[in-house]
Amino acid sequence: MALLEVENLHIAVSVGGVLQPVVRGISFTVDDNETLGIVGESGCGKSMTSLAIMGLLEGTPVRITDGSIRYDGTELLQLSSKQRRAIMGNRMAMIFQEPMTSLNPVYRIGDQIIESLRQHKSISKKAARARAIELLDLVRIPNPSERVDSFPHQMSGGQRQRVMIAMALSCDPKLLIADEPTTALDVTVQKEVLELMSDLQERTGTAIIIISHDLGVIAETCDKVSVMYRGKIVEAGTTENLFERLAHPYTRGLLNSIPVVDHDVEWLEAIPGRVPTLGEELSGCAFHPRCPIATGLCIAKTPGDTYIAGNHAVKCHYADQVAS
Amino acid sequence: MLAYTAKRLLTLIPTLLAASALVFLFVHLIPGDPASILLGDTATAEEVAQLTREMGLDQPLWVQYFVWLGNVLQGDLGTSVFFKTPVLSVIAAGAETSILLACMTMVWIVLIGVPIGVLSATMHGKWVDQVTSGGAMLAASIPTFWLGLYLIFIFSVGLGWFPSSGFPSLSDDGGLANLRYLVLPSLTLAAPNAALIIRLVRASMLDVAREDHVRTARAKGLHPANVAIKHVFRNALIAVAAAFGFTFAALISEAVVTETVFSLPGIGRLVVQSILRRDYPVIQGVILVIVVLYMVINLLVDLAYARLDPRVSLK
Amino acid sequence: MSVLKLMPSALAGRKLATIGFLWLVLVLLAAVFAGVIAPFDPLELDPVNRLAEPGWPHLFGTDHFGRDTFSRALYGARMTVIIGVGSVVVALLSGGLIGMLSAYFTKLGHFLMRGVDVLMAFPALLMALVLITLLERSVANTIIVIGIVYATTTARILYGMTLKLKNEVFVDAAVCSGASHRSILFRHILPNLISPLLVQASFIFAFAQLQAAALDFLGLGLPPEVPSWGNMLSEERIYLTRAPWLLLYPGLLIILSVFSMNLVGDALRDNIDPRFKDDISGV
Ligand SMILES: Nc1ncnc2c1ncn2[C@@H]1O[C@H](COP(=O)(O)OP(=O)(O)OP(=O)(O)O)[C@@H](O)[C@H]1O
Ligand SMILES: [Mg+2]
Repeated sequence: MALLEVENLHIAVSVGGVLQPVVRGISFTVDDNETLGIVGESGCGKSMTSLAIMGLLEGTPVRITDGSIRYDGTELLQLSSKQRRAIMGNRMAMIFQEPMTSLNPVYRIGDQIIESLRQHKSISKKAARARAIELLDLVRIPNPSERVDSFPHQMSGGQRQRVMIAMALSCDPKLLIADEPTTALDVTVQKEVLELMSDLQERTGTAIIIISHDLGVIAETCDKVSVMYRGKIVEAGTTENLFERLAHPYTRGLLNSIPVVDHDVEWLEAIPGRVPTLGEELSGCAFHPRCPIATGLCIAKTPGDTYIAGNHAVKCHYADQVAS
Repeated sequence: MLAYTAKRLLTLIPTLLAASALVFLFVHLIPGDPASILLGDTATAEEVAQLTREMGLDQPLWVQYFVWLGNVLQGDLGTSVFFKTPVLSVIAAGAETSILLACMTMVWIVLIGVPIGVLSATMHGKWVDQVTSGGAMLAASIPTFWLGLYLIFIFSVGLGWFPSSGFPSLSDDGGLANLRYLVLPSLTLAAPNAALIIRLVRASMLDVAREDHVRTARAKGLHPANVAIKHVFRNALIAVAAAFGFTFAALISEAVVTETVFSLPGIGRLVVQSILRRDYPVIQGVILVIVVLYMVINLLVDLAYARLDPRVSLK
Repeated sequence: MSVLKLMPSALAGRKLATIGFLWLVLVLLAAVFAGVIAPFDPLELDPVNRLAEPGWPHLFGTDHFGRDTFSRALYGARMTVIIGVGSVVVALLSGGLIGMLSAYFTKLGHFLMRGVDVLMAFPALLMALVLITLLERSVANTIIVIGIVYATTTARILYGMTLKLKNEVFVDAAVCSGASHRSILFRHILPNLISPLLVQASFIFAFAQLQAAALDFLGLGLPPEVPSWGNMLSEERIYLTRAPWLLLYPGLLIILSVFSMNLVGDALRDNIDPRFKDDISGV
């Protein structure tokens, strides 16, 4: 039994009373000490998946319509809100896409970390403050005993994201979800933040899900990868297997212009076209309108999983050809 | 903080000077000779001639303005035509009523406006929200004097719970119990303002609720009520607190109608009566006092704003 | 987008606002046809029938002069429309022009907007009272006073919105193609301001009713013989205990009309161009 097991998860958003499917049956698992990367273009449903796992969809127009999310063997979707809140921020924590706005501007960062600590642990204010300083040091904020009293606007984006990490780690979660933790940061800072996360994982054994639309980031940091397209996982496998033989045209497109031998297709710099809009139903493989190798079969029939090597699964009728 | 206060004070001075110039010019805009206007119809030619000399009315306008401003700064706002006493003391006599009325009104506004606004925001879209925000808009559509008259009709004439008019000073017989004279007036004055606060609290909270940091707070596993108060309401308070200040500053002049309905001896009724009596020195004095008060309170609001929002003070 | 098209889309799906709109149409009809509908002359005295209770033939009863309250209420609708429309026109023309010109010609604007700031140092009702002191009681003066009071807020709001528009591409394009200032202001910028102006107009209309009624009540508004809802309240207030319904009808008419206008304004605002959402927050 893995730490987190997501099975056949369906998520839909209600637009004007009509449920539009966004995530259409995805499954994956993450284990202790393991890093899973979820990659895909903007709008494919990555953030929704992570919010669904965290339990943050309440009060939004987004609904989980089917499937199961098990944490440590417990079905999360059957827990009461109260039970979920006991896990949230405690056993399971999340870092968000927007470091500039994810901290409350009116409270000192130390107080925000302390709030998280004291929510789940019976610990004195003084001890919590000491722990907050320790955490800031852990995420390599210079001069933590002073910075603990800073306000968010006094810190850079990279520093704020580290504060977010410190806050997420405050209760020693067993699972950390990082939704595009570095997208809003510039390249050097990106690298530092990612290294920090790997280091922390080595020390604590936390399971991590990193969400990104940058395959490079994923390749460097993750043990396993799931590639999402329009609410489905179109290719999944260990990082090693997957990058050795990318078997889905979409993944190849994401990786930008890897020339394909034995095939007439020149991969374009970026994938042509855009992610189809919500609610637009497509027959067959959802990628066919943008796929350089699509055939009549792709329009007619939805591809199932083809296994390339071990558990490297691909949803493409021509997976074997693309992979070779 | 100190530097910020000083800076805000400095920016206030030109506006204050310009506003005082307008108040000064006011008497000169009334058709007729300013000295006779200020002295009223009963003045003798000698008195007029004397005041003309005293105020330097034969001097150019800008000289007159500075003479007047000098007097004002020394606390000399002229003499009431009607009372024949210094304008400042006439205004001071109404101050107790007006200040108590404004404070009591503020208490109602906070007690009614904030909880209902919070309720409306947390129940967003549900029937409770529809009823409260609709009711708030309805309350803001009621003429205050009409509401006051019916409150008198029901609670004074009908039920006899509260006195219908007047206000003996707290230092008179009855002491603090005399505040009951202000219950109906303050409720009347509070109604439309509380309605605006309800709408503002609701709107600001809904705005804040959409911000990313609220999601972070929820992700900590905080109880929704805790998120609503500590994160959403606390941040919405920045905008709401400013509105409290502006509302309070405007209450003194808004009280004009309410004080008239309830025959309260406050500054508001003084304005109206002075207009009807053509007691121009008092009108001029009251306007000046209210405008200065209005600007000072607004300045204080700005400073309070800086305290509530850590991002401001360092800019 | 034309004004006529804005209304249906703003009202779609909003029941309360639609009812409010219909009420306003009713008020407008009453204003136009008051002379035809009114069963009695609103000024005709009938000392025998003083303070008659509502019934037949005096639907809303009679006042302390024996005048027919229903007929006076109908003529009052006329005043409501005149004061409301008049104040809106004065406020939008003067304030709107100042705001737009200030944003467009920055040097002049700096000067003008400082002036607006100074005027805004006067609380609304106080400013109305100051102006009223200088003028005679008349319909036109009431309109001017209320219009000027709301011209300041209108100027501020339009200033902000024009500044935003000025920096947009289509204005740059017009400048590059050599359009004159007048054509840029009135052909390119103004049409984009129509819907926020309409929102602003509806709130001013609503507030103007309350201010006008307050002035009437203080004896500083319309001349006492003019049948307005505010004057009706003001004149009959001492008969509140003897004839409570006398204050009920004009009061409810004011409340309904102001409430309706606020509802319509809210509906229009919710429907507005997202660019201006922050700028308009009511008067
Ligand atoms: N409240 C909402 N109402 C309607 N549609 C929504 C809502 N929230 C999200 N969506 C839609 O759901 C889809 C998935 O959104 P999601 O935020 O999960 O994308 P993402 O993969 O995280 O993209 P990004 O890389 O931009 O963060 C998008 O197409 C988005 O437009
Ligand atoms: Mg996302």
